[in-house]
Amino acid sequence: MHISDGVLPTAVSVGGYLISGLLVAWSVRRTRGDDLPKIAVVSAAFFVASLIHVPFGPTSVHLLIPGLVGALLGPSAFLAIGLGLVLQCLLFQFGGLTAIGANLLMMGLPALLAGWVFYHFKGRKRRQRILVGALCGGGATALSAVLLALLLVSGGEDFWGVAKLALAAHVPVVLIEAAVSAMIVSFLIKVKPEMLDTPFAFKKPT
Amino acid sequence: MKKFRRGAVVVLLAVGLIISALPAAAEENGCSQAVRVIEKQQGKASRDMRKIQREIAALRADLDKPGLSEVLGGLGYIFGLFGVAAYVASRRKD
Repeated sequence: MHISDGVLPTAVSVGGYLISGLLVAWSVRRTRGDDLPKIAVVSAAFFVASLIHVPFGPTSVHLLIPGLVGALLGPSAFLAIGLGLVLQCLLFQFGGLTAIGANLLMMGLPALLAGWVFYHFKGRKRRQRILVGALCGGGATALSAVLLALLLVSGGEDFWGVAKLALAAHVPVVLIEAAVSAMIVSFLIKVKPEMLDTPFAFKKPT
Repeated sequence: MKKFRRGAVVVLLAVGLIISALPAAAEENGCSQAVRVIEKQQGKASRDMRKIQREIAALRADLDKPGLSEVLGGLGYIFGLFGVAAYVASRRKD
C-alpha cells in the first residue's frame, strides 16, 4: 500500500506534495492544543500498526488503520497520518521519499472521510457506534486501495486492471480492519467514551 | 619335447601380455575411482553452496524488516514532537 520512488510521474509527485501540504496546514489549524496527547497516541498507534502482520493464506497482510485514525481524531487525522508516514518512510523504508505526498493523500483523504462519516452517523447507541466504526475502518481501507489505483494510473497503468488487483489484494485487509475497528470502538465505549466524541468541524476551533 | 617347448612359449607370451596389461587396467580403475570421489565432493560442495545462498537470502529478507530500535526511535520522535507542540500550545495560551 506504499508507492515507491520512481513509480509516479514528477507532476503527480509534486502535486501530491502541494495538496497534502495544504491539507496538513488545514489539519494543524483545526487541531486544539488540548488534543495533542491524544493525537500523539493515535499517531504512534498508526505508526506501529503497519508492523502488525496478519497471516492470511499464503501471504501476510499488515494493518493500515486510516479509518480508525480518522474516526478518533477527526480533522487532525491528516496531521497524524502525515507524521506517521514520514517516519515510516525514513525508518522502515516503506514507500519512497518523493512519493510521500501521494501516499499521504492516499491514506489521509479516506481518514478524513471516515472522520466525517463517524462524527455524523455514530449516533448514541452502542451497537450503532460499533457498526459505523467497522464501516469506517473497512471503507477507508477500500477507498485507499481505489486511490492507489487512481494514482498508479498516472504512472501509465490501466485503471480497471490496477483497481481490481488492488481491491482484490486488500479484501482481507478490509475485513480485518473492519473487525479491528469494531473491537477498538466497543472497547473505547466501555473505557473512554469521550474519545469517540471528536467533533469534525470545518470552522476554526476556539 | 618340441611340442612342450612351444606350449611353454605360448604360455609365457600370454602371461607376459596379461602382466603388461595389468598396470593399464589398474590405472584406469584408479582414474575412475578418483573421478567418482571428485564428483561426490563436488555434489556436496554445491549442496553446501545452495544452503548458504538460501541463508543469505533469508538474512537479506530479515534486514529489510525494521528492528526494535527503529520502532522505538519512531515512537520517540512522535511523542517528542507532540510534546514540543503541546508545550508551545500551552505557552501560547498563558
